[in-house]
Amino acid sequence: MFKSIVILVLLSLFVGTGVWLFFVWAVKKGEFDDIEGPKYRMLDDDDIDDSDQGD
Amino acid sequence: MTLPETCIHCNLPIPPTDRVVDIIDGEVLHFCCHGCHGAYLIICGAGLKNFYQKRQWTEQGVPKAVYEAAFDDDTLAGHVTSSADGLSEISFVIEGVRCATCVWLLERMLGESPGVDSIRVNYGTHRARVRFDPQLTTPAKIFTTVSRLGYLPHPFTITAAQKAAVREQRSLLIRFGTAAFLSMQLMGYAFALYAGYFHGIDPGIRDLLHCFAAAVTTPVVFYSGWPFISGAWRSLKNRAPSMDLLVALGVLAAYLYSLYATVVGGEVYFDTAAMIVTLILLGRLFEGSARNRSMSGIDKLLKLAPDTANLIEGDLTRSVASHSLSPGALIMVRPGERVPVDCSVNNGVSEFDEATITGEPLPVLRETADPVQAGTLNLTASVILKVDKVAADSFVARMAHLVEEAQNRKAPIQSLADRVATLFVPLVMLISAGTWVAWRFIDADPTVALLNAVAVLIVACPCALGLATPTAVVVATGSAAARGILFRGGDILELCARIDLVAFDKTGTLTVGRPTVEKIEPAIGTTERQLLQLALQLESGSTHPLAASIIARGAEGDVVVPPAQGVETVPGRGLRLAAAGGELLIGSRRFLAEHDVEVPDLDACALTEVYCAEAGTYRGHILIHDPIRPDAGQVVAQLQALKLRTVLLTGDRLATAAKVSVELGIQEMVSDMSPAGKAQWLEHAQMDGHRTLMIGDGINDAPALSTADVGCSMAGGTDIALETADLVLTHPELGRLYEAIFIARGALRVIKQNLFWAFAYNLVAIPLAATGQLAPIWAAAAMASSSVLVVGNSLRLGRLFKKSF
Repeated sequence: MFKSIVILVLLSLFVGTGVWLFFVWAVKKGEFDDIEGPKYRMLDDDDIDDSDQGD
Repeated sequence: MTLPETCIHCNLPIPPTDRVVDIIDGEVLHFCCHGCHGAYLIICGAGLKNFYQKRQWTEQGVPKAVYEAAFDDDTLAGHVTSSADGLSEISFVIEGVRCATCVWLLERMLGESPGVDSIRVNYGTHRARVRFDPQLTTPAKIFTTVSRLGYLPHPFTITAAQKAAVREQRSLLIRFGTAAFLSMQLMGYAFALYAGYFHGIDPGIRDLLHCFAAAVTTPVVFYSGWPFISGAWRSLKNRAPSMDLLVALGVLAAYLYSLYATVVGGEVYFDTAAMIVTLILLGRLFEGSARNRSMSGIDKLLKLAPDTANLIEGDLTRSVASHSLSPGALIMVRPGERVPVDCSVNNGVSEFDEATITGEPLPVLRETADPVQAGTLNLTASVILKVDKVAADSFVARMAHLVEEAQNRKAPIQSLADRVATLFVPLVMLISAGTWVAWRFIDADPTVALLNAVAVLIVACPCALGLATPTAVVVATGSAAARGILFRGGDILELCARIDLVAFDKTGTLTVGRPTVEKIEPAIGTTERQLLQLALQLESGSTHPLAASIIARGAEGDVVVPPAQGVETVPGRGLRLAAAGGELLIGSRRFLAEHDVEVPDLDACALTEVYCAEAGTYRGHILIHDPIRPDAGQVVAQLQALKLRTVLLTGDRLATAAKVSVELGIQEMVSDMSPAGKAQWLEHAQMDGHRTLMIGDGINDAPALSTADVGCSMAGGTDIALETADLVLTHPELGRLYEAIFIARGALRVIKQNLFWAFAYNLVAIPLAATGQLAPIWAAAAMASSSVLVVGNSLRLGRLFKKSF
């Protein structure tokens, strides 16, 4: 019982730390600097000149 | 067949003489100039024809002319930074970015040009960062690509202050992320501990969980909570109790008490300490994101004056940096270019658009020896100017200086939460000390006395305190933004609720700021419609603001005349056309007089009169003025009903100012004011104890906007005014100002309620702590319930506003 609690707590801390490091890396890379643009960026698809097919 | 009236690339009306026609893929396309034609070919050549379908372009007139700025590598070299992998990087601001599609186009075009490694355009700030290979391309080539697309790049170096702001926001985010992650872990342990509190728990496991809790709370307190601890230290040094002090006291008391309890056995408050830090950081994060946008005011102001000028040396012109110009030098300014420094006209006649400087909607004619200010736009003809002042003394630079000065002088605003804290902190300390003294009398054990005194400190710091203001601010600014009212930060919201004086600028604020036809007065024997048709023959092809007003009036009355070929423009005078039925003339009284047309006398009262003649005979005139906004009178009345003093501050003559203020019922007015004078007037009002709001739109209002407690600007105003404003109305309707003040007052009321409840809950728990009855579960319950109550109360605000309007 005692041992399993220790293992589980340490495991959760270990996994959590991984996620935390990923988060810190993302912030430092500037992923959160522009939170306005990406929501428009995703609307622009990459294929070029697709509207010509309709004409 | 009728020809299309607007250019397929830039959407501007096509001047009849400049029409460019090309057949591309069997489609006949019309352009207004070769520049647009070229830009179209570039875009289609790169396979990005989609641009024309994607863009959502409702407003006309981005750059008024094709930018032909030359960029040289020497000037740009100072803005390039090299990195270790052999790539270089340059940052610049792009003028003319209107929508997400502009960003898309720029990224695609630049991304595909040779030598460019990566490019990112920030949609919010219009800043681009390009990484490129210096062997394959140069900054000048990149800039030229951008300008060929019709955007204007400006190199910029991030100032230390801006860098610090970004760093601070990032570190705040990391601190919050860390606190949130560790608090989540802690929640698991606390859950087990609370279950154990009610149902019993093995003491060994309990101690183990206490140790883990201590381990995860330590970084929360000392890393995530560092801003509070250092803030508390500062406030102790200044002997001014602040919210930081209260937070740090509560957190440290809870943490140290729990650490002690972990060692000797007893109840722990680790969850309380972590929760306070996490929630208050969340509140800070909310506020920080709203404030960040207002940082870029001053560099925008300076960039209005172009960086390069065409210096005339003998027969040659050479492109030089604006700041190297010295008084007396001759420079050439072509139509579509801005004046780099304050000058006077040496040679030539042209009209200048001063709207960005004064807000005046009509272009001004400048002839030999007339002064021309930096930042004004040359509209009609190339002129040679003589430099009067060096760049650092020019009008725009002086304005930037005034704005900077006003912003520096502005005392930091003490938020309501801080002011409450100044009262609350000493009170809590007093109760805590009282508890200690009382327990020393009752119980001889000093440990018990100390523990109970500390318990008072723990419970006195409400988590909800950190949420009280930010949540109300987020809800209020959110619902305000949905109505087109942008508050630059929570402090502005608070200030806006407290103002008692509203100062208006006239042109462009109380008036529409756009010339509009007031009256058409045909000569005897001519109908109104005939006169309009006559005028439109000449004006249809023109982009002059006066022409635009006549075209608009024509469209209203369903009079549309295709532009005639061969219209000749005489700068500042009018238009001439040799038609079959005799020469057509339209323009000023003087213009007609020069062509020996007799014009009857009129009592001039409108802004401008446009006279029209056909074959030497006067045919009538059109009165054009800048009308007062239809809702102005109502808004002034509404503001006065809110017990606000209204003042008109204008650079206009006394008579005009008096007429407007009487018409609208404005209580006071001051006329003939300089930009600095407006700022001074507001400063005096502030010294008399007034809290002021200034609403204006020109660059000349920028110093006043930053001096006033709240500077307000409307869409349609200049970028600079919008940037220096604390409050921006995105619809050109004055009614929004009333709504803004209404929302701000509602928000302040809710903030006050929130603070009251936040403290009230904890005050109830203080007697429990003082008597030694406080179990951790009660502390946690008080924190949680007050937080829920405060958030709920803030959310109520959104519904309230929905009902009110």
